[in-house]
Amino acid sequence: MNILFLQFLLQVIFLTIVFLHISKKNFDAIWAYGIQSFAITILLLNSFFETGNISLLFVALLVLIVKVVLAPRFFARLIKKNELIFSVSTYLNIPITLIVIVLLCAIAFSGIFEPLTSIISSNQGLLSLALSTMFLSLFLIINRKSALSQIVGILSLENSIVAFAIFAGLEQSLSLQIGILFDISVWLIIATVFMSMMYTHFGSLDVTDMKKLKD
Amino acid sequence: MMSTIIPQIIFFTVLSFFVIGGIGSLLFRKNDVLANRWSSFFAIFGSVIGLFFVALIIINGYDISFSLGTLVLPLFSVSFHIDKLSAFFIFIISLISLFCSVYAIGYVKHFYEKYNIGFLGFFYNMFILGMLLVVSSSNWLLFLIAWEVMSITSYFLVIYDRQDPQNVKAGFLYLIMTHVGTAFIVLAALLLYKFTDSFDFRVIQANSSLIPLSIKNIIFIFAIIGFGTKSGIIPFHIWLPDAHPAAPSHVSALMSGVMIKTGIYMMIRIFLYMIWPVPVWWGLALLILGSISSLMGVLYALTEHDIKRLLAYHSIENIGIILLGLGGALTFLSLNMPTPALLSLTAALFHTLNHATFKSLLFLSAGSIINQTHTRNMEEYGGLIKYMPYTALFFLVGSMAISALPPFNGFFSEWLTFQSLFQGIALLPLYEKLIFILAAGSLAFTGGLALACFVKAFGATFLARPRSAEISHAKESSFSLQVGMGGIALLCLLIGLYSGHIAIFLENIVKDLEVFKNTTSFMSVSGQSIVVEKGFGSVSSLLFFVFFVLVIALVIGVIKFVINRNQKIETGSTWDCGTDLAPRMEITATGFSRSIIMIFRGILRPSIQHDIEYHDAQSRYLPKSRTIIFGLHDVYQSYFYQPLYKMINAISSQTKKIQSGNTNAYILYIFIALIISLLFVLWR
Repeated sequence: MNILFLQFLLQVIFLTIVFLHISKKNFDAIWAYGIQSFAITILLLNSFFETGNISLLFVALLVLIVKVVLAPRFFARLIKKNELIFSVSTYLNIPITLIVIVLLCAIAFSGIFEPLTSIISSNQGLLSLALSTMFLSLFLIINRKSALSQIVGILSLENSIVAFAIFAGLEQSLSLQIGILFDISVWLIIATVFMSMMYTHFGSLDVTDMKKLKD
Repeated sequence: MMSTIIPQIIFFTVLSFFVIGGIGSLLFRKNDVLANRWSSFFAIFGSVIGLFFVALIIINGYDISFSLGTLVLPLFSVSFHIDKLSAFFIFIISLISLFCSVYAIGYVKHFYEKYNIGFLGFFYNMFILGMLLVVSSSNWLLFLIAWEVMSITSYFLVIYDRQDPQNVKAGFLYLIMTHVGTAFIVLAALLLYKFTDSFDFRVIQANSSLIPLSIKNIIFIFAIIGFGTKSGIIPFHIWLPDAHPAAPSHVSALMSGVMIKTGIYMMIRIFLYMIWPVPVWWGLALLILGSISSLMGVLYALTEHDIKRLLAYHSIENIGIILLGLGGALTFLSLNMPTPALLSLTAALFHTLNHATFKSLLFLSAGSIINQTHTRNMEEYGGLIKYMPYTALFFLVGSMAISALPPFNGFFSEWLTFQSLFQGIALLPLYEKLIFILAAGSLAFTGGLALACFVKAFGATFLARPRSAEISHAKESSFSLQVGMGGIALLCLLIGLYSGHIAIFLENIVKDLEVFKNTTSFMSVSGQSIVVEKGFGSVSSLLFFVFFVLVIALVIGVIKFVINRNQKIETGSTWDCGTDLAPRMEITATGFSRSIIMIFRGILRPSIQHDIEYHDAQSRYLPKSRTIIFGLHDVYQSYFYQPLYKMINAISSQTKKIQSGNTNAYILYIFIALIISLLFVLWR
C-alpha cells in the first residue's frame, strides 16, 4: 500500500484524538473512536498484505469486531440509558488545550525522542506522529473530567501504541494481539459496569465527585 | 548417573512429604484429631527422610546440583545446589523438626476446638518446607521465594493464638521487620546481579572478581541488615522477643532453634562462597556485633520474668556467640591465616548445632510448663519439680547446656570459640588483637551471666513452693511431649560426649568450602578429647562426664546418707510472729536478678515504680499493699526506632499530600513519570 495512504491513516488517528479533545458531545467522541479503530484495522490489513501472515488478518478482523463494532455499541447504549449526551467539562479551556497539544507534538517531534523514533529511519516522521498520538491520548485522560472520556482516552492510547508498533516494525504476534483484545473486551465490560455504578451513586460521570471517597 | 538421580529423588520426596502434610492437614481441617495426626505424621517422616538424605550426602561426599530449568522468566530457574554446608543446615532443620513434630502430637491438643488445627498443620509444614528450600536453593529468585514462604508462614504461626491482642501486635511487628530485612536482601541480590549478570550462586561466585570493593562493602552492609534482622542481631532484634513467645511452643522452638540460623547460613554463603575475598573490617565488624549481641542479649534475658521472652533473648545472645566464630573466621581468612579461620568457623557451626538443640529443648520445656500453668510469668511459678519432674529434668539439661556447663554440648562449642579467639589474641597485630580481647571478654561475661540467668529461671520455676494456685494443679506432660523433650535432652548429652568427633566432622564440612580447600587443621581428637595444637589446650568430654557422674553420685549420697540421716526436727523460739513459711517469703526471679541489673544500670537503664495502697487513704498510716514494678527503659526503641518512626511518619504525611483523590491528577503523575523514565533511558 502507498506510504502516503499509510500517512493518511495515521493522520486520521491523530486528528480523531485532537477531535476528542475539542468535542463536547459523547456521541461524537464514540464516533471518533470508531473511526480511529477502523484506521487501525486498515493498518493491520496492510501488514497482512505486506507479510502474508494469516494471523494478522485474524487480528484485523478481531479488532474490527471488538473496537469498531462492539466498543462503540457498548458506549452508545450507556449514553442512551443514562441520557449522557453532553460531556462534562475539562480542566483546561479549548485554546489552552490546543496550546498544550502543540507543545506535546513539539516534544514528540524534538530530538529528545530521536533514539526512539529512529528505530526505522525511513518511518521517523510517522513514528514521531504516533508518539504524539500517545501523548495526546494521555493528555486527554488527564484533561477530561468525565469517566466516559477518560475510558475513550485509554482505548485511544491503546490504538496509538498499536500504530506505533506497526510503524516501528515490532512483532505483532497473534497470541499478543488476542491477549490485548481479550483484555480490552473484559475491560470494556468492567468499565461499563463501573460507569453505571458511578452514575447511580453520584448522579454524574464527573470523576471529581469521587474525591469524597478518599476519606 | 544413579549417584545424582537418587539423592534428587530423595530430596524431592522430603519436600513432597511436607507439601502433602500441609495440604492434607488443610483438607482435614474440620476434624482436629485427624488434621493434627496427618500434619505430625508427614512432618515426622519428612524429617526422618531428611536425616537419611543428609547421611547419604555426607557419607558419599556428594555435591549435588540440579535445575528444573527456566519456567517462565529467563532469570528464574528452580535450581538447587546441596553441598556439605547446605546438608549440615538441612540436618539441623530435619533433626529439630523431628522432635518438635513428635512433641506437637500432644501439645497441639490444647488448641482443639479453640483454633483451626488444619491451618496450624498447613503453616507448620510449609514453614519447614520454606526453611529447607532456603538452605538448598542456588538461585536468588528461588531463594527469595523460599525466604518469603518461610517468613509468611512463620508470621501466621506467630499470630495463631490470635485471641491475645499482644500476639497479633507481635506478629505485625515481625511482619514489618522481616520485610524490611527482605528489602535489604533484595537490594544485595540486585547489586550482585548488576555486576555478575546472573542470579545463580555459582555464576556469581565465578564472576565475583567483577564486583568492585566499594560495592562489596555495600552488599555486606545490606546482608548484615537483611539477614541480621532475621537472625536477631542487635539492634535489629526488636521483633524477636515478642514474636518467638507468641507462637505455639513447638513453633517457637523451630523459630528460635532453626529459623534464625538461616540468616547465619546465608552470611556464610555470601561472604565465604559468593564474593570471597573480603576486607578485614568485615570480620572485625562481625566480632563487634557478636560481642554486643551476646552480652546485651543475656543482660536483657536476666531482666525478664516471662519465661519465653527470657529464652528469646538468649537466642540473641547465642547468635552473638555464633557471630564471634564467623567474624573470627572472616578476619583470619582476610589476613591469609586459613588454619585458625578453620577453627573459628568450625566453632561457629558447632554452636549453631548446639544452640538448635538446647534452645529447642528449653522452648519445648517452657511450652509444657505454660500448658499446665496457663501463664508465662515466672513469678507465678515455683515448686514445679514436684508436679513435673521429667520436664524439670529436661529443662535442667537445657539450662546446663546453654550455660556452657560440661558434660553437655554448649560447653564444647563455647570452648572452641574461646580457643579461636585466643588464637587471634596470640597471632594478630595490635588493632585486631584488641577486638579479639574484647570479644573473648564479652564471651566470658556472657557465659557467667547466662549461668546466673538459668539459675534464676530454674530456681524460680521448679524450686521452692508454688506461688500461685494454678501450680498445685499442674501435671506431668503427656508421653509425646516427654519423648520430644527427652530425645533432644539425650542429644545434648551425646553431642557433648562425642564433641571431639563431631567437631572433626564439622571441620570437614567447613573444609568443603572452596576457601578452606587443603587447609591444615589445628584441631585433633585423642580418645574423647579435643586437642587444639600449639599448646593452646585440650578438653576431655569423657573425663568431664565421669566427673559429672561422680559429683551427682556424691551429692545424692550426701543428701541421702548424711543430711537426711542426721536431720531431726527441733522446736525453737518463733520468729516473724510465728508466721509459717509461705511463697511470698521466697526470693522472686526479679529479686534474684536485681543486683546484677543494678551493676549494668548504665546500659540497661532500669526503672522502678513504687505504689502503696493504704487501709485509710486519709490517715495514710497503715499500708495495705506495696507494689514495686521493675522495668527496663528500651534504649533501642527510644534512640533508634522511635526517631526513625517519627521521621518516616513525617515523610509519609508530606507524601500523602500528593494523594488528592483526583484520578486525573494520578494519571498526570503517571504521564510525568513516563516522560522522565523515557528521558532517563534515552539519555543513557
